[in-house]
Amino acid sequence: MWSLERPATAPRAGILENTPVTLVAALGLGWTVVAGLTALGWVTRDVLRTAAITAAHGSLLAIALNWAAADRGARLGREAVPVTIALLGAGAVAALVDPRGVVLLLAVPAWLGILVVRGSLTGLGLAPHVTWRPVLAGAAVGALLGAHLLVSASQTLGYALREGATAVPLLWAYDLGANVISAECFFRGALFNRLQRRWSIAAATTVATTAALLRYVVDPLLPKQVEVMAGALFYLTVLSAVDCWLLWWSGSLVPGLAASWIFFLAYRTLAIG
Amino acid sequence: MKEIVALAVSVLAVGVLSGRAAIDDMSLLRYLYFLPVIVAALRFGVVAGAVTAGAAVLLQAPAIFAAIERGGVTPAASEHVVTCIALLLAGTLVGRLASYAQAQRRRWRLLLAVQRALAEDAPLEIALGRLRACLAMRLDVDDVALVVRGEDRLTIAGGFRLADDSLAAEVLTSGRPRYVPDVGGGARVRRAFAAPLLVGGEPTGVLAVEREGEISAAEQAALSTLAVHCGLALENARLVSQQRRFAEELAERIASATATKSAFVATASHELRTPLTALLGFSELLAQRRFDAAEVRRMAELMQHETERLVRIVDDFLDLSRIERGLEPRLSRAAVKVAPAVAAAVEVFRRTGSHRLVVECDETLPEVDADADALDRILKNLVGNAMKYSPAGTDVHVAARATDHVIEFSVRDAGRGIPTEALPHVFEPYYRAPGVGSARGAGLGLAVVKSLIDAHGGSVHLDSAPGEGTRVTFVLPAVP
Repeated sequence: MWSLERPATAPRAGILENTPVTLVAALGLGWTVVAGLTALGWVTRDVLRTAAITAAHGSLLAIALNWAAADRGARLGREAVPVTIALLGAGAVAALVDPRGVVLLLAVPAWLGILVVRGSLTGLGLAPHVTWRPVLAGAAVGALLGAHLLVSASQTLGYALREGATAVPLLWAYDLGANVISAECFFRGALFNRLQRRWSIAAATTVATTAALLRYVVDPLLPKQVEVMAGALFYLTVLSAVDCWLLWWSGSLVPGLAASWIFFLAYRTLAIG
Repeated sequence: MKEIVALAVSVLAVGVLSGRAAIDDMSLLRYLYFLPVIVAALRFGVVAGAVTAGAAVLLQAPAIFAAIERGGVTPAASEHVVTCIALLLAGTLVGRLASYAQAQRRRWRLLLAVQRALAEDAPLEIALGRLRACLAMRLDVDDVALVVRGEDRLTIAGGFRLADDSLAAEVLTSGRPRYVPDVGGGARVRRAFAAPLLVGGEPTGVLAVEREGEISAAEQAALSTLAVHCGLALENARLVSQQRRFAEELAERIASATATKSAFVATASHELRTPLTALLGFSELLAQRRFDAAEVRRMAELMQHETERLVRIVDDFLDLSRIERGLEPRLSRAAVKVAPAVAAAVEVFRRTGSHRLVVECDETLPEVDADADALDRILKNLVGNAMKYSPAGTDVHVAARATDHVIEFSVRDAGRGIPTEALPHVFEPYYRAPGVGSARGAGLGLAVVKSLIDAHGGSVHLDSAPGEGTRVTFVLPAVP
């Protein structure tokens, strides 16, 4: 038993330790340069959006991967982070060239899948072996929340379903390839995981959820109407709290990924934004 | 699981029922939501109450928001909003109270179980094992261990060793509980908490638990209290066991003392009877027959000798009685010349002629600070013993010398000696070493000798080995 046989004085890393500051700063600088060029009118807002996707999601994933490797001692190859960011950038650029290019973002979860199989992401709660019961529970929660969103949004605010054969699948691809995966990996897999090993579950959930909400509030892609913002905050709060609980309960990030992705499936079905 | 499904179905059923009525109709069906919310809160606690209430609110929210969109904040819509708030409050508060009550009931039952586990008298290892099994069954934890500090070693239940820098060792040293939010390694967070088992404010052991999940502050406080109870219960069990052992030992000692007293009464009677018989015989002879003067003198000397013996025996009894009452013998200390005192004591025995008494005592020795009667009794007891337990015709050496402000006396014989195992007991009252055979004695002599020497502030020492004789050495303070 650990309490009797192991040293209780093992040093603990700081909360922000092993953050790839240089990389994040570089990504932020790149985005700032593009934003400056956009302000000068030298490049279009679509380019700025591409830079934002790469910088924001790339930073979240880079931090998550570094924290996971440091906290759990998993072997993360030197190529893991650069390849992830490169794939994100490639997908974003492809989407800039042609909206259907967003499908290339699916290379990101595919690459992360390879890392999972290698056992490099166990620190994020992504182990090669998955227990399906929590995943089904996560999917059920995502479906319930998504269904509720569909009903309430259509009944109260009168939002219709999104039209067009390709629009919804492309948004799903974006969620699966960048939005959901980066949010879950960072806010739950890295931040919540790190905090829950220092603080109580409630405190860790509160901080991780607040951070996740901030990420969506500052997201320029989120519509700014008050009712949409209020609804988003409500659903994302519930979704984040449930995802934290799922990770705590199962020790796996997959149930939270399932819940989030299914919820965003419903969200993207609505013609919001 | 069935209960959860039933609750979910009932919430949905209420949703369907009330959903058919428009918000504006002021339908009272919405109050039916309270039923599953309260049941969930009472049955499963605060989380279930809050989740069920949240589900009920989520079910109503679309209709309420739609009504507000349609007609603004009408009284009917306001009432529905208030109902939602009341549902959330009811689910949370009732659940919290129910959780608290359930926790209290669990703790109460646990304490009872702890008491039951330690009710039976058992060695510490077994009692600790029982207690650990009880805690493992009733505490909702993944692992539990108990460490108890004994007189010379640690007893551990739930582990094999206690590392010096471990959590339990730290708590055992500091006496303060400690919580570790993550013991590291696993996919799920594993918390550890250790609390000291306290007896009289001192840590006597540690209760350590580990769980994959939360150990809240309230639970830590409860575990600390439980540890104190466990400490007290273990201490009580230890005391009961110790008391039982004491009672058994006491009964054995009483039985042994009774047997010793009985043997003493028999021996003492015999000891008293022997000189009395001699006195009676000689006095009858003197009363009934005529003897010449020399014979009368001889008989008178024998009668005097037996009377002196009687006096010694009675004095021993009286001294022993004082010793047993915790009193020291009465002494009247003065400066006593050593050589005459030794010679006088030896002279009594010299008349018997059974042994050769060798006295080695310098006339120039300093005077000894002692009670003259007591010194005489000490010497006579020791010389008498030496003669009693050594064959006739052998030497008995009596010596005295001055060393370092004390006078050292020694009486040495060439007798059978005393068995090694008997040496620690020879100064105990009533004790008679095995193998003394038919030698007379009540087992009082050496006890009285020791008490008299102690009363002088002196010391006595006995060296003996079977077949090599016995040497008794004692020291008394010299006159400065």
